[in-house]
Amino acid sequence: MSWYNKRLAKSIWVFHISASPCNNCDIEILDLLTPKYDLERFGIKLVGSIRHADVLLVSGVINQKVAPKLKYLYSQAPKPVFVVGVGTCPASGCCFNDSYNITANREEVIPIDLYIPGCPPKPEAMIEGVAKLVEVLNG
Amino acid sequence: MDNFQEFISEMDDKIGKIIEKPRRLFFDAENENILEVAEHLFKKMGCRLSTATAQETYKGIEVLYHFSEDKTGSYYCPRIVMKDKSNPKMNSISSVVKGAEWIEREMMEMLGITFDGHPHPEPLLTGNHPKEIKTPWRFNTNVQLRGSNNG
Amino acid sequence: MDKNVIPVGPYHPLLEEAEYFTLKVDGETVVDVDLEIGWMHRGHEFISEGKTFTQSIFLVERICGICSTSHPLAFVHAVEDVDNIEIPLRARYVRTLIGELERIHSHLLWLGLAGHFIGYDTLWMWAWKYREPVLQMFEIISGNRNHYGIMRVGGVAKDVNPEKVKPLHDVLDDIEKKINMIAKAAKDDPVLKSRLKGVGILSKQEAVDYCAVGPTARASGVHIDVRKDEPKDAYDLVEFTEIVTENGDVFDKTVVRLLEIFESIKICRQCLNKLSVSNGSIINKVKEISEGEGIGRYEAPRGEVFHYVRTDGTNRPVRHKVRAPSYVNIPTFKASCKGIPIADALITLAAVDPCYCCTERSLKLVDKNDNSFTLDLLELSREKTEKIRRSI
Repeated sequence: MSWYNKRLAKSIWVFHISASPCNNCDIEILDLLTPKYDLERFGIKLVGSIRHADVLLVSGVINQKVAPKLKYLYSQAPKPVFVVGVGTCPASGCCFNDSYNITANREEVIPIDLYIPGCPPKPEAMIEGVAKLVEVLNG
Repeated sequence: MDNFQEFISEMDDKIGKIIEKPRRLFFDAENENILEVAEHLFKKMGCRLSTATAQETYKGIEVLYHFSEDKTGSYYCPRIVMKDKSNPKMNSISSVVKGAEWIEREMMEMLGITFDGHPHPEPLLTGNHPKEIKTPWRFNTNVQLRGSNNG
Repeated sequence: MDKNVIPVGPYHPLLEEAEYFTLKVDGETVVDVDLEIGWMHRGHEFISEGKTFTQSIFLVERICGICSTSHPLAFVHAVEDVDNIEIPLRARYVRTLIGELERIHSHLLWLGLAGHFIGYDTLWMWAWKYREPVLQMFEIISGNRNHYGIMRVGGVAKDVNPEKVKPLHDVLDDIEKKINMIAKAAKDDPVLKSRLKGVGILSKQEAVDYCAVGPTARASGVHIDVRKDEPKDAYDLVEFTEIVTENGDVFDKTVVRLLEIFESIKICRQCLNKLSVSNGSIINKVKEISEGEGIGRYEAPRGEVFHYVRTDGTNRPVRHKVRAPSYVNIPTFKASCKGIPIADALITLAAVDPCYCCTERSLKLVDKNDNSFTLDLLELSREKTEKIRRSI
């Protein structure tokens, strides 16, 4: 499906899900749309419905109340869809590993393809992550 | 300057042991008197309820309210200790202070306390929870830490 | 089966079948508000019983990304309150400087979002663009744009060296000019005035009954500001005014926040001037904390943040209670949302400036027979602005 991936890489539509974050990563993602970083010049835009999404951005350490909703949401996204985990929370749970309300294994809830670590990751790091994704899609 | 001496002499028969620090007054109160104490602090002195802390100790279940007197920057904290750990009950102050509704709901679900007279005793944070978590802050709770829970 | 909830913007979580706010409507008017929370509950109070005091500072920063100075400051105030620990003069100025810079960036963030909700996307882009220099200032001082990790029990961890003072002054002057321009444009716009005046009124008595804090209460005429009531750090050494207005509607809340930005710039300049002429240590190393209880608070951009710490002589707290300002401000919706048209629901809910992670902004609408239905609230809000613009 590499021809499909190449078409996809020209203009990625992104849907943002926050699953129990502290909202810092979410604000840095929104910062990417503002005039200083301006992600729209790469053809990347944020969409309002998951059915239009090519890439899902997940932020936050997924807590147990949100996990079933996240699974359902992932099932609604038309495949193929790529999942990017933004921040240290989806990568390793950050400092919340001792809590009673956290899922033990995030990959079982939603399979993540690309991690962008950082607390929060700088906008430049996020742009580099996206560029890596585009490179992989282009083969 | 704080008005602690005036408060202590006015409410002398309704409060117990006192710990006094600069701008902080912690005192014990009984369940029968808590509504009067809350009314004196909220309505007569014009204090604002900041929040309430609940904790299980070896003596019993303890609820500590925090009332802020903004004019002087001091805090008045009545403490109620419920000795019956299997069924802790006390009067709710939400009829006097509307702002106490949410924090009493949270204390109900986290520690299993019953607040008599509360208008909406539903859980606030763990309602509709897929794992049916009950009273996570008690010593004998049913929740397990992350390592043993399955995702 | 319950129908679904309306997204409030392309960037908010669209978690289907999840009800957060439920608005009961009768025709075109909102009659009641209810809400369910818990999707962000990570159990901070439970985790911090196992961490030392210094580790808790990093944990507590991550409660909320926007108020990531307010929580550590209130926490170190609480621990210092147990033993009445004094902190050095230089550390007081650094703490105040960071706190006020955070206030500037948080109010600009809110201004941008409010503009987005009523259809002024240019305001959104401007406000967030002029927020970037403030984040750069944080990077100069502490090394990170957010989550600075700079507070410690007894002082601060990093200093503002003399070579950092001049660039910081330049950035402050630049921001002041730009915000002056935005404030003038916003105050003189007739569409904005008629869109926001008289909407979502919270009366003074209701603000006192619900124990509201912060700009939500100050816009309704309640004089409450931790920086004046219990001045700690350098707030008793600098001059500033407390901004209080009378009407309690969304326009007043906007004015309070705009004017507070100017006061914060004033405080930052005074702190920088004092820092460039004083010297001394920035931390008073604390060897142990004795047994006892401590209360600490701080005026975050949204209101009073409250921390309570109980210690037993070891290096970990026995009990740590956190109360964010949005916890007491959000129930005021029940009073301010009664009787407003649906098109104003969104801006009224946003005017309280709920900290994102305390409120997930999806809404469910039910009519008087408890049947739910769907409407796009963002579109409704923007259409109302258009109608007003055409009629003026």
